[in-house]
Amino acid sequence: MSIDGEPGDADETAAPVDAVALAIAGHPIPVESFGDFRTAARDLIVRRIPPESVQWSGTQHAGGDLLSAANTGLVPALPADLLDQPPAPPPRIPRALMEMLQGAACYRAPDRWGFLYKVLWRWQLGQQEILSMADEDGARLQHMVKAVRHEEHDMHAYLRFRERPPEAGDPRFVAWFEPAHDVLPQVAQHFARRMGKISWMIGTPDATVAWDGSTLHATGPLMRSAADVEDSGEALWLTYYRSIFNPARLNAGTMHGHIRSRFWKNLPEAAVVPHMVSQAAAGARKVGQLDTVGKRTGTTIPIAPEKAAPERQQPSSLDDCRRCDLWQNATQAVAGQGVHHAKIMLVGEQPGDQEDLAGKPFVGPAGALLDKAMDEAAMDRRKIYITNAVKHFKWEPRGKRRLHKTPAQKEVMACHYWLETELETVKPEVLVALGSTALKSILQSGSVTMKDHIGKPFRHEGRWVVVTYHPSYALRVPSAEARHEAVAAIVAALKLAQRLADGETPE
Amino acid sequence: MELIDKLEILADAAKYDASCASSGAPKRSSEGKDGIGATNGMGICHSYTPDGRCVSLLKILLTNFCIYDCQYCVNRRTSNVPRARFTVDEVVKLTVDFYLRNYIDGLFLSSGIIQSADYTMEQLVAIARELREVHQFRGYIHLKTIPDADPALIDAAGRYADRLSVNIELPTQDSVQRLAPEKNVHTIKLAMGNIRLKLDEKEAEPKAPKFAPAGQSTQMIVGADASDDQRILTTAETLYGSYKLKRVYYSAFSPIPQSPKSVPLAPPPMLREHRLYQADFLLRSYGFQVNELLPTSGNLALDIDPKLAWALANREHFPMDLNRAEPAMIARIPGIGLRNAKRIVELRRMRQVRYADLARLKCSMKKIAPFIVTADYRPARDTTPSDALRRSMADVQQQQMPLWPELQAA
Repeated sequence: MSIDGEPGDADETAAPVDAVALAIAGHPIPVESFGDFRTAARDLIVRRIPPESVQWSGTQHAGGDLLSAANTGLVPALPADLLDQPPAPPPRIPRALMEMLQGAACYRAPDRWGFLYKVLWRWQLGQQEILSMADEDGARLQHMVKAVRHEEHDMHAYLRFRERPPEAGDPRFVAWFEPAHDVLPQVAQHFARRMGKISWMIGTPDATVAWDGSTLHATGPLMRSAADVEDSGEALWLTYYRSIFNPARLNAGTMHGHIRSRFWKNLPEAAVVPHMVSQAAAGARKVGQLDTVGKRTGTTIPIAPEKAAPERQQPSSLDDCRRCDLWQNATQAVAGQGVHHAKIMLVGEQPGDQEDLAGKPFVGPAGALLDKAMDEAAMDRRKIYITNAVKHFKWEPRGKRRLHKTPAQKEVMACHYWLETELETVKPEVLVALGSTALKSILQSGSVTMKDHIGKPFRHEGRWVVVTYHPSYALRVPSAEARHEAVAAIVAALKLAQRLADGETPE
Repeated sequence: MELIDKLEILADAAKYDASCASSGAPKRSSEGKDGIGATNGMGICHSYTPDGRCVSLLKILLTNFCIYDCQYCVNRRTSNVPRARFTVDEVVKLTVDFYLRNYIDGLFLSSGIIQSADYTMEQLVAIARELREVHQFRGYIHLKTIPDADPALIDAAGRYADRLSVNIELPTQDSVQRLAPEKNVHTIKLAMGNIRLKLDEKEAEPKAPKFAPAGQSTQMIVGADASDDQRILTTAETLYGSYKLKRVYYSAFSPIPQSPKSVPLAPPPMLREHRLYQADFLLRSYGFQVNELLPTSGNLALDIDPKLAWALANREHFPMDLNRAEPAMIARIPGIGLRNAKRIVELRRMRQVRYADLARLKCSMKKIAPFIVTADYRPARDTTPSDALRRSMADVQQQQMPLWPELQAA
């Protein structure tokens, strides 16, 4: 897609301008577009012609500096042997700088081309600080880029289309806007993307652009003011604008800080602002409701509280557990899962991030590793019971993530009640303690250590206890070798648990 | 009832929800296609009302009939407000018409609870589906999610909407129980968790059907209960971590007509809400933690911003040498924002940073002066006690502050 006469096309269609010859002759270099400027600037830099020896001219807003030094006879003379010297290598302009130049070229200032050439010249001299806000020219360049972007943004935001009656034909929507910089071409593209196959036209004091549903057409000024189109849709908008305002929060300064005053005259909603402000300031501030809404007849909804309450599953007693504070930051309590009279019960530490969301034990990365280990040990997950020593996820914030935190012994002890309940219902013959928290919970002791029990099954309260690593330990160890060993140990422990469950005794 | 009357009632009823951002949607364009609408990921404010808030979306309720009795809400069943209900077609028509005139970037649709959570959610989804499938609407859609609704409906909502939100409403479970008896923190958290799981699944499998590409957000009402700022921010931190929320919105409680006795008669200072947004921004973008900003229970200071308060309470880090300090620490200096911190680091790769550079970068010189060292500057007030500095740097304008400075920076 292209706009007819879009800046950038000019250097392909118009006869090429010999910028160097013009500069030597002391004539201004005509520039209609950024494309013109780029071609001219490249030729000038290659011939090492300094910015103070060049004058530029353009259309009304394209920034000719006819009053610049050149016309007052202050242009430094160019060296006589200029054209005899070998040309400098063409400048290498990083993309970021090129984009800034292109943006700044839309800024309406009488000296814009001269300034942009100075920026290029300084870059060519190796002065990289031209990219910094702390540099004087750099600051101006960035200011220009920002002002142009700002203007584009404002036009995207504050342009208002009015709908024409269908019998009037195309364009169906018409808008008027007075941009302070040359942003119409970019903005037109924005609206072409937004409006699909619906036709529209935007008028500005310098140019007009129209979209027929598939192509953009640019012309000179066609309109002289805000589109003189009656649009009943505007009444709905004004009603919405009045209603969405909360008089209890009157803060007109912020509104004015956002919408610059020059846009107000073409914004339909501006007409109702003074009334809204004075009404809000005169007492309506006490409540947020719009005056006219408050004056209508209201009605309560006659429904009994018990009928209004949504139907929910009764929370289990575990959901209501307040034995420690971990429930506060967790999504839900995660109960154990498995067959009712499983011979083997695996006890992990606590639910992790994924378990907390899903409400099921061992579904996250550690769960995946455990599944693999069970596969290898030929243990059927459907025939066992899996649970955790602590039922709520304990974590602390790390940026926007939840970092697992080992439960404190008092939390383990508080939650032991639930493990005890599970042991009573399931009545397993073998307990596999995955990691030290599980072991501490099973033995109800904060001082036991893994290394005393790992690989050595023992009897406790009438059942076998097998101790091994927690799967997430295997995920955390740095070396592949140690990881391999940890997984092997878990597999061995699961196999041992099955043998114990089958009635074998350890050697 | 005429459409315009419904609009008046149902926009008025929707204005207490603070969220308004229209950013984060994937890029879409209607150029050469049937239908309308485009998004570029950035979102935009199309207007501002005299309360200083922006208008970027058509923010309305489908209906303000509601069987719930949330004490802070103007639409609670016992409230004597005029009631109205849009049809699906009316919402669709308003959205498309407003969009074509460039008043809005899309639709933010919420609703009172009618009949049941599922029925209400079905209606919201029907509107989004009609917009997307029948009208090929490519603008932004934000749907409020009814926490008790069937997860299958939330799934469907995520296919059509850019953003989903579930409002936590109040910072503690006790307050929710007391002030919103039909709501339940447990189901609210489950709904958020469910949305996060869906977002994670989609991320892991890019070819899966799309699901709420602009993520999820929530809102908390400030000043309707006795929770202090530490409680509010801790809840926010928990929600950010647990459910990967894009935003938590804070809405200062607005007194409502015929206010029930269970909620306060007066609103909290608007400045409190503003400070919460500032603190929230420090949590999300600067790597601050709640316990750094508010180590003990209480509220954020109203006279100074939270970053300045942190700096005055942690003078051992200052004055900080801008030519040596860690980039992340530079952003913690009062008066230097993320962008300027980055610029300073870029500049010092080329040369020494000097005092005058900071003025050109438009740093707040009054604020940074006691906290920095540059190649040519050392603060004279380095040893001035923090409380004296605080008095000299307090915001004079204590009544009203710009309320939504970074609201679009979702």
